[in-house]
Amino acid sequence: MTDELLVVRAQLGEQAALAELVDRWRVPVWSYVRRMLDAQRADDVTQEVWLAVVRGLPRLRAPDRFVPWLFTIARHSVTDRLRAEYARAHEQVAPGESAVDDPVEAIADRAELIAALTRLPVLEREVLVLFYLEDLSVDDCAQICDVPVGTVKSRLNRARRMLREQWEERGYRS
Amino acid sequence: MNGEEPRLSTQEMLDRLAPSLSPWRRLRAVLALLAGLAGGAFVAALWWTEPGPLPARTQLAFAVLTVFCLAWAGYGCWLLTRRVPLFATDRVIAGWIALVASLVSTVGVTAIALQRGTGVGAAIGVGGVFVAVSLVLVVRAHARRALLLRLQRELTGKKQE
Repeated sequence: MTDELLVVRAQLGEQAALAELVDRWRVPVWSYVRRMLDAQRADDVTQEVWLAVVRGLPRLRAPDRFVPWLFTIARHSVTDRLRAEYARAHEQVAPGESAVDDPVEAIADRAELIAALTRLPVLEREVLVLFYLEDLSVDDCAQICDVPVGTVKSRLNRARRMLREQWEERGYRS
Repeated sequence: MNGEEPRLSTQEMLDRLAPSLSPWRRLRAVLALLAGLAGGAFVAALWWTEPGPLPARTQLAFAVLTVFCLAWAGYGCWLLTRRVPLFATDRVIAGWIALVASLVSTVGVTAIALQRGTGVGAAIGVGGVFVAVSLVLVVRAHARRALLLRLQRELTGKKQE
């Protein structure tokens, strides 16, 4: 059954459909939150996210856009917890940085990527998590992060460059 | 971080969400809003249709009762907009409850006004607004539910093709 059909059934008031949605998206939402926060806060924030989803679901007008909507809520909850860190990251973004439309490259295996993520700044970390770990499109990432598509691409490029630097540095040491 | 799992299972998460999804909580929110509004209209109608000048204490009592009813209406409104999700079927039920409550309140307030021989027009006017708003809510709720049911049929059909 598609997410869209489950959302429609849940919006009609069918609790089994809502339970199926929670079951299907519980781990992906938690994974995103966990990459952005420590373990203790990740559990609390994940619960907040699902509470907001349940309260907001009747007002969702486009059931086919459930996944970006879900991660937008998750991002808002994470942003609330990391407000200071996000503000600092926005200040550090270089103005006028160009959006380079590089093809997505297979940069590393999943475990290595997850380990390296924790050392990235918050803005770069979140687009990497959404794009690579949650397999969302650039358009969806842009909607979730509330930035233009070009900004998502430039953040992805910057994040890949930072990751490459990390791995090169580690390669020299080993 | 690798290999970590969420601390809460699906069932535990659903248990945490259960209070928000409780039918009683939704009904309580709807009833608090309607009872507050209807009670407020009723007390205000009694107050306005008093034939003679009222003592200060009676005026105060009417004012306190009206504020009390409006506070309940505000609480119900806050619950419905911020705390309790009303799904499509709930909205249809809530709309019909609102319509019945509006009709009963209008009849009650108008009967009081007729008995006292004053303020009939105001009672019918205020009651008419309540009934009209309730009717709009009922029509919108039915339209939304019909849209979702149609979408559900289309998606189910698409899946079977």
